[in-house]
Amino acid sequence: MIETRRPRQQWIGHVVLGLLSIACIFPIYWMYATSFRRPADVGAASLVPWPLSVQGYRDAAHIIDIGGLLLNTFTVAGLTAAGQLLTSLFAAYALTRWRFRGQQLAYLLFVGTWLVPFQVTMLPNYIVIVQLGLLNTLAGVIVPMLCSVLGVMMLRQHLQAFPRELLEAATMDGRSSWATLWTVVVPNLRAPLASLAILLFITSWNEYFWPAMVLRHSRSVIQLGLEGFFSPEGTDWSALMAAAGLACLPVFALYLVLQRQIVSAFVRSGIR
Amino acid sequence: MTTTGIFVEVPAVQALPLDGRAPSGRPARWRRVLRALPPYLYLLPALACVVFWTYRPLAQTVQLSFYHWDMLPTSPAEPAGLDNYRRLLSSPQLGRSLWLTVVFILGMVPFTIIVPTFVGLVTRRLRGRTAALYRALVFAPMLVPPVAGAVVWQWLLDPRYGAVDRLLGTDLNWLQQTGPAQLAIVVITGWHVLGFAVLIVTAGIAGISDDYTEAAALDGASRGQTTRWITLPLLSPTLLFLALMTVLLSAQWSFPVIDNLTQGGPSGATTNIYYFLWETAFQGFAAGSAAAAGVLFFLGFGVLALVLVRLSDRLGVHDN
Repeated sequence: MIETRRPRQQWIGHVVLGLLSIACIFPIYWMYATSFRRPADVGAASLVPWPLSVQGYRDAAHIIDIGGLLLNTFTVAGLTAAGQLLTSLFAAYALTRWRFRGQQLAYLLFVGTWLVPFQVTMLPNYIVIVQLGLLNTLAGVIVPMLCSVLGVMMLRQHLQAFPRELLEAATMDGRSSWATLWTVVVPNLRAPLASLAILLFITSWNEYFWPAMVLRHSRSVIQLGLEGFFSPEGTDWSALMAAAGLACLPVFALYLVLQRQIVSAFVRSGIR
Repeated sequence: MTTTGIFVEVPAVQALPLDGRAPSGRPARWRRVLRALPPYLYLLPALACVVFWTYRPLAQTVQLSFYHWDMLPTSPAEPAGLDNYRRLLSSPQLGRSLWLTVVFILGMVPFTIIVPTFVGLVTRRLRGRTAALYRALVFAPMLVPPVAGAVVWQWLLDPRYGAVDRLLGTDLNWLQQTGPAQLAIVVITGWHVLGFAVLIVTAGIAGISDDYTEAAALDGASRGQTTRWITLPLLSPTLLFLALMTVLLSAQWSFPVIDNLTQGGPSGATTNIYYFLWETAFQGFAAGSAAAAGVLFFLGFGVLALVLVRLSDRLGVHDN
């Protein structure tokens, strides 16, 4: 009974997932398709852009400093991810290697941040950034983001499963906790560290809320730069789609290469 | 050893409290402190960051909510008592944005729960390369930066050349009309998170052992019965988790979409609770009211989260 049903079941599955995939991917496809249309036929309805043109990309480079914005975004996302990776590694190491007074409290402080919406902290943080003179600087975007609770939790989980014998052997050898961290723990944790790094990089690349506050006037990351395209005289759609496509490109490139790791990192971060 | 002990014992009686104990006692305590120190040092960077950028501002927001302040450094904050809360709770805008948030959360349910569950159930037998490809495609929107997603949708919904109007054969100015604008915000946010929800459900279904469904099939249960009485109950923790995320994060997810596409308009039709907060703080320059609203949301969402976590503990069927 089940055997005879399987082919039909499979067929329905293919149809459902196929349609869903098309619906999900179409806006992305349309973005790139529009970016390659000539400005004259930007409103064309043909599914495939023809003749191809890179005029949109040229125009986009005229309107905003795409290279500079991408570089800034890259700097912010890279430094944020690196900082978060380091602080989470240390914190997770501390939480799993020792038993100490206040351990439970520290853990609760990390978990508790899930309950504090960003909107509640934004005003005081904004005021501090102004007082520190970091308004409209990239540092102002990076510094408050230097700890990722998600990172702490994910690494803590991995480190709890870390073989204790390895740590004990290192201690017997007379290695300090610092040396153990870098010579024993990190080399054995390369895969989770890498997938966490990618996750943090993507999250920070796509971050909108905080950069929008700190860089309200300079608009010096690509996410905010896209707003420079809207003008009362009308929008240059093929240029805007070119810029938007470029804003997505680094993340998509990462995704193409490391698809499996990225998906599993996202799913695990969700399930925890 | 004993001889040396005896040998030193005599003069040591006097010397111990002065020289002997101080040098040996202090290093011992020092050493104990030093030995206890490492975990705290490793914790310090992350913990300091969390305390300074999350808990300090939380406390400050609570404090600020009892003051009137227009955010100018030159003008001092004035104590306001419960005035901010009173005004906020009687403001019709708050009730409206709260209601819109609820409607919006309900609108997200198809994208975060219903469709993913359906897709997960229909495709659970699919394996191999094609299935992986589908999942990769469905997941892709999750990676699109919110602003890029917003401008792409603005183009898709363009009243003159938009692909959506052409596809549906409609002639709507989506973002300028109340109903369509609300629908658009829901669909765009749903588009972003759908793939994520599908993957979560897929992982949940993959985690259910085949033994149960096979046993049910042997007992003569139909596919529908197996799904209804075995798969869905075992999937309930996953579904409750998704429900929790929907309730707590929907308003958060939609924020960049709203900010880029409608700015809360037309005439307030897409001003959800977070957008209301944002407007109060940065357009109204009323720090006290914004802080009061922040505190209320913090409490509201906290209670909601606790209730949902409790509920999922009570209702969840766990597969041991």
